[in-house]
Amino acid sequence: MVMITGGAYQGKIAYVMRNLGVAESNITDGSVCDLKELKNARCIRNYHELVKRIGEDCIDFTKELCRDNPDCIIIIDEIGCGIIPLEKCERVWRENVGRCGCIIASASETVVRVVCGVPSVIKDVTS
Amino acid sequence: MTTLITGGSKCGKSSFAEMILEHFQGRKIYIATMQPFGDDAFEAIERHRKMRAGKGFETIEQYTDIHEISLDKDCAVLLECVGNLCANEMFAGGAIYCPNDKIVSGIKSLSESVSELVIVTNQVGSDGISYSDGTDDYISAMGDINRRIAEFSDNVIECVYGVPVLLKGEIPC
Repeated sequence: MVMITGGAYQGKIAYVMRNLGVAESNITDGSVCDLKELKNARCIRNYHELVKRIGEDCIDFTKELCRDNPDCIIIIDEIGCGIIPLEKCERVWRENVGRCGCIIASASETVVRVVCGVPSVIKDVTS
Repeated sequence: MTTLITGGSKCGKSSFAEMILEHFQGRKIYIATMQPFGDDAFEAIERHRKMRAGKGFETIEQYTDIHEISLDKDCAVLLECVGNLCANEMFAGGAIYCPNDKIVSGIKSLSESVSELVIVTNQVGSDGISYSDGTDDYISAMGDINRRIAEFSDNVIECVYGVPVLLKGEIPC
């Protein structure tokens, strides 16, 4: 599994297409896709939005996905570096994104963080 | 050795901080700064208690005035977290004030008095939202306090979804 993270609009999708050779048509959008597509997806983007869609089952869902689709590339925004939101549902979502992100990072051989289009490999256990 | 650990929400900072002190032989102190007000706080405190269970920490609850804590030279301390400490100092009374010097000097003297200090803080300034004055003052205070703690820390590490990213010094585990 490979995880790509960083803030919004930092060049994460461009990185996946350029450096990992994934065609745009093979990138599944977690914010709108059919959930059944995810177990066979080559690459999932907007995983943080997917966490919101799934709601309270997101932790189990993420663990299962890591088990059932271990070669998947997952693109997830970093969203937790701000002020705690006032709305409970926003707080829960933000915390769930953190927890799911930790699960994906732990299951990934490689984690890349893209900032201003520049990738940094922050985890690599492939070598 | 003083290590500052920063990062966003639920990104594995606490687990990583505990891991640093896992093999410390001696008295281990956990300084908890979160006040048990509201359901969210109760949940968080309970979750962190469970995480620490069996890991040999004594807990000191200190919501403000971190300089009042005096500990033996030979102990290790995990302070969690600067974000709560700063909010407690700023918003506890009626008027908002600037606790930067008080917090930084309190933590610095702790770092000089104990054997190992691991400080957990938060990144709160990266959501691009403009808030009301009080919250903006908090973001500004946290930025300043974090920079000043990082200056006297041996190691500074950012946790990104559980992955430690070294910013200064070394990863001590």
